[in-house]
Amino acid sequence: MSKNILIIDDEDDVKEIAQMGLEMAADWNVITASSGQAGLELAETRQPEVILLDLMMPEWDGKQTLKQLKSNQHTATIPVILMTAKTQSAIASELMELDLAGVITKPFRPLELPKQITDILVGGKLAK
Amino acid sequence: MSRERNCPPKADILAIDDTPENLALLSQMLTEKGYKVRSVTKGSTAIRGAKAVAPDLILLDVKMPEMNGYEVCQQLKADDRTRDIPVIFISALGDVFDKVKAFQVGGVDYITKPFQVEEVLARLDTHLTIRNLQLKLEAQNSQLQQEIAEKTAAEDKFAKAFRTCPNPIAIAAYESGQLLEVNQSFLQMSGYAISEVTNKNIGQIYSKSAWAVYQQAVHKSDSQGFIHNLELEFPTKSGQIKTLLLSMEIIELGGTKCTLQILNDITERKRLENEFISLVSHELRTPMTSTIGALDLLNSGQLGTLSDRGQQILRVAIRNSERLIRLVNDILDLERMKSGKIAIQPMFCSLEPLLVQAVETMQAMAEKAQVKLLLEPCDANINLDSDRILQTLTNLLNNGIKFTEPGGTVKLTAKVQRDRCQIVIQDTGRGIPADKLESIFERFQQVDASDSRSKGGTGLGLAICRHIVERHHGKIWAASELGTGSSFYISLPLQHQTRN
Repeated sequence: MSKNILIIDDEDDVKEIAQMGLEMAADWNVITASSGQAGLELAETRQPEVILLDLMMPEWDGKQTLKQLKSNQHTATIPVILMTAKTQSAIASELMELDLAGVITKPFRPLELPKQITDILVGGKLAK
Repeated sequence: MSRERNCPPKADILAIDDTPENLALLSQMLTEKGYKVRSVTKGSTAIRGAKAVAPDLILLDVKMPEMNGYEVCQQLKADDRTRDIPVIFISALGDVFDKVKAFQVGGVDYITKPFQVEEVLARLDTHLTIRNLQLKLEAQNSQLQQEIAEKTAAEDKFAKAFRTCPNPIAIAAYESGQLLEVNQSFLQMSGYAISEVTNKNIGQIYSKSAWAVYQQAVHKSDSQGFIHNLELEFPTKSGQIKTLLLSMEIIELGGTKCTLQILNDITERKRLENEFISLVSHELRTPMTSTIGALDLLNSGQLGTLSDRGQQILRVAIRNSERLIRLVNDILDLERMKSGKIAIQPMFCSLEPLLVQAVETMQAMAEKAQVKLLLEPCDANINLDSDRILQTLTNLLNNGIKFTEPGGTVKLTAKVQRDRCQIVIQDTGRGIPADKLESIFERFQQVDASDSRSKGGTGLGLAICRHIVERHHGKIWAASELGTGSSFYISLPLQHQTRN
């Protein structure tokens, strides 16, 4: 089933790869933002069904952007999936405390992204 | 003659008398008793002889022409070379005045003529003994002075090292923990003035956690004499928390048992290390994410079909970028574990499911390599971090499969031995030479340098395994027979205190 998805990442190449994977594998409708601030605005106006958010970004990082998204009444209910480099148990426990739909580790396989995201949304809990 | 050949003379005596008969008598008597005697009849000759080769003792007649005995003695006492030679006067002048004069000019004794042989010998012996003792005392004295000078120089050296050492150093009383001395570097590091730390108890200066580390260091120094590089957090006067390495030795200072604490401020090093790790983590992985993703998309065939050669080259690119990401992950894993960023979080769990999970994880790889994977489990309740031990087991199974030819087997066995559990990963691979059995657990120490290329390993797997096992207070080692196979052993305590 086609979905509207917002990718927030400051790395253009990573965004492009993720976008291509989502479009090629599942024909999802992808919009992108290069910063937390731009992502929040897009989320408000375009109301995506799910947000793929990078953890490490300049200015607002993933955690700060998440906080802004969750404290904004127009975006608070949109599920957010965090993209991060291989999770370590120390970081994983830290992420557990955040209001996340799930975590996808980098590097990811672009064509498997739609399935990974769907699994997380269906499962409705943090995927390891 | 035979006496001279056989044993050295008892002493070298210079006898001076203007009467040859007296001299001959004295000389004969003393030579018989084992002395070497030089006889002279004139004072001036005697002085020259004594200056040339100093005798051990001089027997000196008082009444002589040209120069009398007193004058001879005065001249002898005036010269450095002859001053310390004991002089015994022999004279027929029996007057008290003569005797007193003899002592006044520097004589040590006085014998009245005609003399008894026994008396001369007794006095001679006494004064030679006194002279010998005196010489011995002088030698001891000069040795003592040399030792004192050496000790003073050593203390100066130590004091200078203490003052100018760039490492903070503190000396505290062993029993009371009272700070006795700190150096300039300590004051700089801590921000305190000297008056704010001396005579304070160390517990007042160190934080609570640092105080615990200090006590641990004292305990260990007590049993092994010293301790090196215990990490502690030190609060400075301004409240900044510094990371220090504490090395300690128990010393004696002025009879008091003290702790000598040499500190190493690694705050900046730690910060750089963390910065480097996060830099590598982000800056290296981000372009790799794009590269691997791009190759994956190309490989899907959905962007057009590549020629056979093109696909072959693409597979090379994929294989190598995957190897690169494994390498970066392993480096970061090891660094984070070493720096304590990844905590070992042990919980009591059942061992058997963990072993089954490890085998299941590696099953696909084993099938692909046509290697039989066997499991002989045992069940035990054990206190461990299951994620980390699973990582260790799959790593060792992975190695076993990689180095075993098709048709071979890799076996995972576990058994409980009293309060420990032993896990063995045994393969039928090519084996490990005896001289490599220990070094393979070091970073980038593979049996064959080409293994990292042909087998896709990073050279860090076993170093990570060892680190994990040691953090569980366990041991890991390998045994092997070339051409027959290798066995990796892990011994873990069933229950242990966590150490982080």
